[in-house]
Amino acid sequence: MNWLLKRIKGDPVIWGVVIVLSIFGLLAVYSSTGSLAFKQKGGNTEFYLFKHLLFILIGLGLMWLAHLLDYRYYSRISQLLLYISIPLLIYTLFFGVEINNAARWMAIPGTGLTFQTSDLAKLALIMYVARFLSKRQDTIHIASSAFYPLLMAISIVCVLIAPANLSTALVIFSTCLLLMFLGRIPLKFILAVVGSGVVFFILAATLVLKMPDDSIKSVARLATWKARIENFMGGEENVGGNYQSMQAKIAIANGGLLGKGPGNSVQKNFLPESFSDFIFAIILEEYGLWGGILLIGLYLTLLYRSIRIVIRSPKAFGALLAVGLSFSLVIQALINMAVAVNIFPVTGLALPLISMGGTSTLFTSVAIGIILSVSRNIEPDGDESEEEPVLEKGGNHVIA
Amino acid sequence: MNVKRAILWRVYIAFAGVCLFGLLILWYAFKIKVVEGEKWREKAQELTTDFQTIEAVRGNIYADDGSLLATSVPIYELRMDFRAGGLSDEIFKEGIDSLAYLFSITFQDKSKSEYLREFMNARKLGKRYFLLKRRLGFQRVKEMKTWPILRLGQHKGGLIIIEKDQRQRPFQLLAYRTIGYSVDGVAPVGLEGAYDGVLGGVSGKRLMQKVSGGFWIPVNDENEIEPENGKDIYTTIDINLQDVAEDALYETLVKNDAMNGTAVLMEVETGHIKAIANLTRKSEGVYAEEYNYAVGESAEPGSTIKLVSLIALLEEGASMGDSVDVEGGITTYFDRKMKDSEPGHYDKLTLQQAYEKSSNVGVSKLVYKHFKDQPQKFVDYFTELGLAEPLGLQITGEGKPRIKQPGDNDWYGTTLPWMSIGYETQFTPLQILSLYNAIANNGTMVKPMLVTQVRQTGKVVDHFEPTVIKDKICSKEVLKKVRIAMEGVVAPGGTARNLMNPNYTVAGKTGTAQMARGGRYNKSFYKSSFVGYFPADHPKYTCIVSINGASRGVYYGSAVAGPVFKEIADKVYANSLQMHQDIEETIEVPEMETPPNIAGQMDDIRTVMNDLGISNKVIGDESEWAQTRRLNKSMEVEKRKVIGNLVPNVVGMTLKDALFLLENAGIKVQAVGTGKIRKQSMRPGSRVYRGATIILELR
Repeated sequence: MNWLLKRIKGDPVIWGVVIVLSIFGLLAVYSSTGSLAFKQKGGNTEFYLFKHLLFILIGLGLMWLAHLLDYRYYSRISQLLLYISIPLLIYTLFFGVEINNAARWMAIPGTGLTFQTSDLAKLALIMYVARFLSKRQDTIHIASSAFYPLLMAISIVCVLIAPANLSTALVIFSTCLLLMFLGRIPLKFILAVVGSGVVFFILAATLVLKMPDDSIKSVARLATWKARIENFMGGEENVGGNYQSMQAKIAIANGGLLGKGPGNSVQKNFLPESFSDFIFAIILEEYGLWGGILLIGLYLTLLYRSIRIVIRSPKAFGALLAVGLSFSLVIQALINMAVAVNIFPVTGLALPLISMGGTSTLFTSVAIGIILSVSRNIEPDGDESEEEPVLEKGGNHVIA
Repeated sequence: MNVKRAILWRVYIAFAGVCLFGLLILWYAFKIKVVEGEKWREKAQELTTDFQTIEAVRGNIYADDGSLLATSVPIYELRMDFRAGGLSDEIFKEGIDSLAYLFSITFQDKSKSEYLREFMNARKLGKRYFLLKRRLGFQRVKEMKTWPILRLGQHKGGLIIIEKDQRQRPFQLLAYRTIGYSVDGVAPVGLEGAYDGVLGGVSGKRLMQKVSGGFWIPVNDENEIEPENGKDIYTTIDINLQDVAEDALYETLVKNDAMNGTAVLMEVETGHIKAIANLTRKSEGVYAEEYNYAVGESAEPGSTIKLVSLIALLEEGASMGDSVDVEGGITTYFDRKMKDSEPGHYDKLTLQQAYEKSSNVGVSKLVYKHFKDQPQKFVDYFTELGLAEPLGLQITGEGKPRIKQPGDNDWYGTTLPWMSIGYETQFTPLQILSLYNAIANNGTMVKPMLVTQVRQTGKVVDHFEPTVIKDKICSKEVLKKVRIAMEGVVAPGGTARNLMNPNYTVAGKTGTAQMARGGRYNKSFYKSSFVGYFPADHPKYTCIVSINGASRGVYYGSAVAGPVFKEIADKVYANSLQMHQDIEETIEVPEMETPPNIAGQMDDIRTVMNDLGISNKVIGDESEWAQTRRLNKSMEVEKRKVIGNLVPNVVGMTLKDALFLLENAGIKVQAVGTGKIRKQSMRPGSRVYRGATIILELR
């Protein structure tokens, strides 16, 4: 145990948050997969628990490995990963494994596992944006130096993800915009993108909604998008399609402020995807509003601890890397929760570290591992010096 | 400006934004829980979802040639919701008149005004589940979906279609009891019952949600668990032979006004049951398949059991020539009289004669002589011949055999002699049949079987081979003697001489037993049976016919059961080429100037010959059909008789002519080879069976 503890470095608070979230996730997954286990595994209720536990343990292992590596290596790695993930995205788009009419998945040869290429691309892209921003800090105000090339890279990735997984593409795009804002890209550029994006989206959505059903069917995901938007806007009268949101609301209402207690959810049997997309609704049913507060608090703690790294980090890359990854993670978490309480339409995003997600859990773990790697390198052996380290201008010489 | 500070304040702003977003989520959660809580909890009460079962399609049961014995067809029930949301007064008024008219002319059961009144009434009362029609076929429902109002569907037209699977037996009565049924709440019967698990498949599940109006709608596009359809089973039943067996049995039961009867035909080598008929009297002249007597009725068999006595005696060293004093046909054991069926004809008989004439006194006296000091030894022969245990059939409900043991409370001094002639023991007809089949099968007893294969979407997933129960039931020498004795039964001196015929040989045994009713034997209640195999020299089939309670004065096994046996055997014979001796071929003389002999329509034959310049002349009457006789320089044309109900002689004809004649007579034709017809499987002049198949050999 001591041997292990000596080898675990980095912010202990982040480690703690990860452990607590994982336990929370195990409880919620075990509870909400009950009916799935009966339908698919003949009542072997432990099947999904152990499967999830296995992924969490492998994830912790990867997290530990990732945090051992000096974060400065990730700068070069990010470039490499991005170059790998773009062809992979193209491949997935055309030859990917289709699940629910969306070709998001790619088989890992020889393992029987599949993973979403967008998970890999997201990780690579955020690291890459951090790298690029830190390198161009000197000329950050010149659009052609930092803004245009970055927008280009981000757009390529998002356009490749969008056909199969529009919501993920949107989330990645927004997170990157946020990261650009954090990295001192002038606000006017960003607002211009946001503005034109909003206009484009309103036009596109109107077009899709107006299109007749017949012609929509020929485009793989259009029908799903249309249905989701319609469900969200149609309100509770649209009984058939709004089923998920309504069941989620019933679950949340059922739990009351105090919750029904772990494992006592009723709605888990009626709520499809209660173990992934809608797991927050089950948590609100079983643990009440306090469960929700605790969960959001944990994610915000994670985010706050990453922000603290900025204060201490001597290098722009480390700061932007940690902040970028943690914002991405927490934003995804909050969007998932927002879907469960029906602020957003159904997106299909999982709740990081909580949802039963399989391989996507592993990418989340690697991301946290990288955050930990940054924190390990700026806080050598818990030495908290009060001295204000100066963030150096520019980042060219950061890479070892 | 300090870069780090610039980044930091941006990070703080973003962090604040994220915190606010988190608070917003919590606020929404709070709102749903507290502000809207009541509303959603009520909604939960209203909304009921349920996993509903999707019945798997039940598998089919097939006959040996692949024809369907039982299958499931969807039938529909149409109901109407007269208060459907979209069914406005306008729509209703506009369409209801023609709807009533269409119902009236399509179903012809009520007038248009009657239908109209019913519909108007249902509308007024707001019926939401009004029965329109039951038991409709798919085509009819398809048609009705185009009718006014109904064509608007469920929400506007109120049409509710309920689909159910109905089991159908294309051959109706045929083997009904053996095919059986499986219905909820009733003990399952026959193959449907025994193979319920195989046929039934695994039902699927689908998450359904109850919405307003009491309808259930599926929640997701796909089923949660897909149903797995049932497998098909292939039986040994030959539908043509089954038809003959059922027909012949029916006719005989009616003729003798009998209580019930069974007839089973089995293939010697394999134990395949080709036909199994069971009929119970409902009222005079009306019979139905209600109980599987062949499988389930364990009763005193009567004289057919004398086969056991014969084998026991021969194994103990008796010989066929041993003579016995039959005392004119009446003797007494202790205080009980035993009589032959027709006493007074003989004084002395050999064992062979005693068996052929079914002398009770003769057989029982010989058994008594050999076994009275060691009755157990006699009883053990029943076990040795495989009669002590049930057969272990593929269907349930098999009757248990009963054999008294010396030392039992009800073992009396008279038990041994009466046991030797078929009383005081109980067996099912199929057990007796299996014993006789073993004799036909050179001493090897095989289990009667009904199911050969289980298939899933055409692929064989399970198959059943013939099972040997006993490899050898008796010694070779004994077997030979027994077979001669059984052939003697269907010979001039035997009890079943009425079954003799020139085409094939039969060996078997008659049985006529008084039946116990209410604990007492009844003089006027008999079990009449015949069991045997054919052809006697190379047995192919074994058959048992057992009829209870023939009540028109005739009750002998040969007279009541014999004709049924004969009709079945005739049909089998007519259908199988391999059992035939070749019909003599006309000898051709090659040097003649005239063409080979031919048969066909007289006009055609004469036209052809005249055109070819062959002199010909008609012998006897002019007629439609004719055959030629070849002379050295000319041909004679002779009438060929064709009579409505009899199989015509088509040898020498072309296939075209033969097809015309045979199919007009209601016979199915199967042709092998090309050229003229050289051989036909059914004897010319024999009776035509409905749906029978004739095999023609062409050369």
